[in-house]
Amino acid sequence: MRTFQRVAVLGMGTMGGGIAQVVAASGRDVVVLETDQQRLDRGRAAVETFLDGGLQRGKVTAADREAVLARITGTTDVADLAGVDLVIEAVVEQHEVKAELLGRVAEVVGEDTVLTTNTSALSVTDLAAHLPAPQRMAGLHFFNPAPVMAAVEVVRALQTDADVAADLVAFVEAIGKVPVEVKDRPGFLVNRLLMPYLNDVVQEYDDGLASAEDIDVAIRLGLGYRLGPLEMLDLIGIDVHRQATEAAYRATLDPQFAPPPLLAQMVAAGHLGTKSGRGFRVGLEQGGTP
Amino acid sequence: MTAPQLTVAVLGGGTMGAGIAVVAARGGHRTVLRDLTDEAVQRGLDTAESFLRKSASLGKLTTEQADAAVANLSGTTDVADLAPADIVVEAVFEDLQLKKDLFAELDDVVSRDTLFHTNTSTLSVTAIAAGSRHPERVVGTHYCNPAQLMKLVEVAEGRHTSSEATRRSLEYLAGVGKTTVITKDRPGFILNRFLIPWENNCIRALEAGLGTVESIDRAVLGALPHPMGPFQLLDVVGLDVHKAVSMRLYEQLREPRFAPPPLVDRMIAAGDLGRKTGRGFYTYESTKAFGA
Repeated sequence: MRTFQRVAVLGMGTMGGGIAQVVAASGRDVVVLETDQQRLDRGRAAVETFLDGGLQRGKVTAADREAVLARITGTTDVADLAGVDLVIEAVVEQHEVKAELLGRVAEVVGEDTVLTTNTSALSVTDLAAHLPAPQRMAGLHFFNPAPVMAAVEVVRALQTDADVAADLVAFVEAIGKVPVEVKDRPGFLVNRLLMPYLNDVVQEYDDGLASAEDIDVAIRLGLGYRLGPLEMLDLIGIDVHRQATEAAYRATLDPQFAPPPLLAQMVAAGHLGTKSGRGFRVGLEQGGTP
Repeated sequence: MTAPQLTVAVLGGGTMGAGIAVVAARGGHRTVLRDLTDEAVQRGLDTAESFLRKSASLGKLTTEQADAAVANLSGTTDVADLAPADIVVEAVFEDLQLKKDLFAELDDVVSRDTLFHTNTSTLSVTAIAAGSRHPERVVGTHYCNPAQLMKLVEVAEGRHTSSEATRRSLEYLAGVGKTTVITKDRPGFILNRFLIPWENNCIRALEAGLGTVESIDRAVLGALPHPMGPFQLLDVVGLDVHKAVSMRLYEQLREPRFAPPPLVDRMIAAGDLGRKTGRGFYTYESTKAFGA
């Protein structure tokens, strides 16, 4: 059984940085590939900030913090990935970008290294089909923020070897997460359930059922969710959700995934949620509409 | 600041009625619980009183507060006794004609200024209000179960509800410690409008083999801000109740995602209703419901 002691993470954005942190916290060495040093520095600073928060709340010790950071190495040279046991790809959600990068990485690491993608919207089977030895490819779908969210979906592509999936399930447990084995379907399991719910809320909101705040308050108090659906969309990013649900809609032609028109309008207006300072709930303290 | 003491009539001594009576009595209002038989009235009053006593023993209320709340409670089977009510809260069985008939009957008993609150979860406030000759006094106030513990009340106006009735209702609910949200009079208001298709979608994912009961609950708990997995929640709610709510929404909205998936019928046929029967999606050693 593979235990994946040396791990490469591709991309040090929000997801890549979070995944690198989680893997490093399990005692494994992580090398993170980025396109330039500035992105590496920014990603590393985000991990430091996250660990500082944990330090303040007493969740991690100063020694833990140093150890985690020491195990994460950044590089801009794909050749530095030679010798890793596992690759976790977490770059921008674009098929061409992921396929091209995974192809280059596959040449460096050889055919025994397990390749995984953190995609939420693309077909793992399709990405695997572009690679030599596609049977060692699978999905490893973390949720944002990766250091906080317990679940990780282990996605079996049509080509994935059973023992690769089994070893990944064990790996997810070994890094302290909860593995959920899922089929390679649009949205896998969690987003397959989440997207129709969020779309439903957006359309009803646009149709004037209630104010954005009242919808969130009702869901928090009535159902006990830690986040209401519209504040959740602000955190996810309106553009990110729209892209994901659009992809699921194109793959299934199932109307429950069709993005409500308001999403496209918000994206056009630059109202992307927390990251742009304006969304369903953020940026509306003085009133107005999203 | 003390709000003026009102007389609140609660119709129906079931779980919701008793909980709503606790809310009114604890909020300092004279509270009259009305049901059809002496036994039903007594059962409701006993439920309300034992909850208030327990609140005192847990330190949530002082003994004096609990005593005062219990002293505010009384019961009757006679509609004529509801004449002094400032607010009537209807929490009877979810049946449109029954609710309309009750409001029609009360029109002849209470004063013109009395507010009528309906605790319906899935019926139309407008349709219920049509039972009264004064639909402008009818407001939808949907409490969550258990009403004495859950802070949220969904408030919905019918087509003819007056803004004054809504204003007075919001003032009353704030005074008894509730957080209100305003929603349109549409099937399921906010909570059931979004919860029912979510739960049905999870059941369909199970039917389609996208995961197991355990793996779907685990995924939702591990990836989303939910306090319970969908199947844990369905077992608490009861499959029969879930089906009834789904059907009422489906009948009004005619959208397939509100229709209960076939697995629900099979589980009901097998008697697997959830916690209350010891078996639903999971099996349980005790049939005692949460927090009861």
